[in-house]
Amino acid sequence: MAAIDASAAARAPREVNRQARTAWGLATPALALMFLILLVPVVVAGVLSFTNYSLGNSGFDWVGFKNYDRLFSRSTYEKMFIATFTYVAVVVPVSVALGLGAALLVNSLGRIGDVYKTIYFLPVMATLLAMAIVWEFMLHPTIGVINQTLELSCGTFLEVIPFLGNGCADGFPLWLGDRDYAIWVLCFIGIWQGFGFNMVLYLAGLTAVHRELYHAAEMDGAKSAWERFRLVTWPALGPTTVFVVTISCIRAFQVFDTVEAFWPQGGGPNKSTYVMMFAIFEKGVQQNLIGIGSAITMLFLVFVMFLTLIQRWLVERKVHY
Amino acid sequence: MAGLSISSVTKRFGDTEVLKGVTLDVADAEFVSLVGPSGCGKSTLLRIIAGLEDPTSGDIAIDGKGVTGTRAADRNLSMVFQSYALYPHLTVAENIAVPLRMRALTATQRLPLIGPFLPGAKEQRTEIALAVQKAADMLEIGALLDRKPGQLSGGQRQRVALGRALVREPAAFLLDEPLSNLDAKLRVQTRAEIAQLHRRLNATFIYVTHDQVEAMTMSDRIAVMMGGEILQCDAPSVIYEDPNDIRVAEFIGSPKINILPIEFANGELTLFGHVLGHANEAAQSGIYQLGLRPEALKLTQSEPVMTGTVAHMENLGSEVYAQVALADQTSRVTLRAAPAERHNLRLGAEVGLVFDLQDGLIFDADGTRQRRIEVAVTHVKEVA
Repeated sequence: MAAIDASAAARAPREVNRQARTAWGLATPALALMFLILLVPVVVAGVLSFTNYSLGNSGFDWVGFKNYDRLFSRSTYEKMFIATFTYVAVVVPVSVALGLGAALLVNSLGRIGDVYKTIYFLPVMATLLAMAIVWEFMLHPTIGVINQTLELSCGTFLEVIPFLGNGCADGFPLWLGDRDYAIWVLCFIGIWQGFGFNMVLYLAGLTAVHRELYHAAEMDGAKSAWERFRLVTWPALGPTTVFVVTISCIRAFQVFDTVEAFWPQGGGPNKSTYVMMFAIFEKGVQQNLIGIGSAITMLFLVFVMFLTLIQRWLVERKVHY
Repeated sequence: MAGLSISSVTKRFGDTEVLKGVTLDVADAEFVSLVGPSGCGKSTLLRIIAGLEDPTSGDIAIDGKGVTGTRAADRNLSMVFQSYALYPHLTVAENIAVPLRMRALTATQRLPLIGPFLPGAKEQRTEIALAVQKAADMLEIGALLDRKPGQLSGGQRQRVALGRALVREPAAFLLDEPLSNLDAKLRVQTRAEIAQLHRRLNATFIYVTHDQVEAMTMSDRIAVMMGGEILQCDAPSVIYEDPNDIRVAEFIGSPKINILPIEFANGELTLFGHVLGHANEAAQSGIYQLGLRPEALKLTQSEPVMTGTVAHMENLGSEVYAQVALADQTSRVTLRAAPAERHNLRLGAEVGLVFDLQDGLIFDADGTRQRRIEVAVTHVKEVA
């Protein structure tokens, strides 16, 4: 007995070693790729954010935290943060809520629901750059369809609404050219473009809700649609919601093409739509200021990482039963 | 607690007629099983009683009051679903409390955070907690109250679903195949527990099942459903011993009842050419069907009515079931024998069978019971 145990004990570590070597061998390609295309660029960007490097220069100087210092002291970057966070704070909740609402409505319809599904999903499939040009036409202060429609209200009782009254008296907003409106127009287009995607995710989540639970809720006395939603639908959509919110946040942080299409020269009137992605592009690519561009990139990464961590935490703790 | 009455309820889904005019009265505190093969409409009927489905025509009344147009939430009925339908995000205690919270608390009192501090909410919540505790103790799930349904076994979930149904006092309990997801052993145990629960609560139970054993063991009355109709609704013993229809006789009883063709002509009742008896009554001549339960057939050495060879045997310990392939016939009959007779039954052995015609059930070609012939025939035989 003892002899067998001893030989088994001697064999065990060799076996474990062999398995470990195979495991590492199999994981190496994936690890190498992750290292090369994810970690190395992040580290390089991190290093460059402490320099004043420009592409084409043979050398660079270490500038310490000067780039980061600028990010938190210059008014341009203050506007960048305001624009970015305004966009995220408006677009994420509204597009998630609209996505959920649209999904519930589409789900309650029969065949005609497919038509609405397609309509709401079209903006997601369309190229945002091309759509931005269409929006630019529509939002044109004089010949745009939006202001022309608004002008129809002039001379009617609708003028009692302050917005329309002021518009008829002093002219309707310039929209893209007005620093008070530009960011909201940007948010509106972001919501219009994004909520269809959330709707599709929620529709997928809704198919997983057990039908019999609604019957149980009815038997238990949940009479209103709201009570059934609170008792059955919303809890069942928990995992979907966490995913949708995270994805929406990351997409909102990444908003770029609309800004680039509307205001290629510098982030909107008075930099009111100077969002982070655009700032990275402008500093790092257009102006070849790699150092400051890298610093914004690092900050961007921190935000996204933070969001992902929150999502992980929520998913593991709260929404799975 | 209240009685229930269902009058000429029909239900169509498109062109398919699922229920063809079902009428059933359930007395207060009665345990009625709806039993039948899959697709016979028993679950649909239960869902119509519950109010989850609207009947195409017909009426439902609870305690004498018509509820046909009333929505499910207002009918004051409890239902246990086949899948249990527990809320996965709520603990066992919260699941059981849902029916009370929905009814006793107002919408604002149910709100998270501020709800508990509204006037009256605290007393209500204490009462609900007490009721939940009482229901949990009755079902012996007190130790599980803080768990989520995902952490429970099938049997435990089933108890929670029962707890959610009995935490308030409904007019009746509706159970939709509640045992079908349990393993065989647990099913037998839970069967007894539900029957005990019925006696303790003294409440009206309507129990849907496709398992005739469940129906036989638990019910006061069994309603056998087939093809959207109730064929017969009677006490289990009547359903078993005195069925009105061959379909009822065939569905209830395990192993299945033996059906043999018999002929009635010139006052003689014959089975495979063997005269069983005479009848002087002017009953219609023709081919009939004789139903014989496995326990009605007996092994005999002399003057057998039928002979055959043992084709298959099932020894259950307390009794032995043997399938006998009849000589010159393609049909098989099943007989129940006592373990003592086992030595006569070997595979391939020739056996003789005899039965008392009084134990037989006679049906016509359409499957309707012919009690008149039964009475006439047995009478003559007794005289002879």
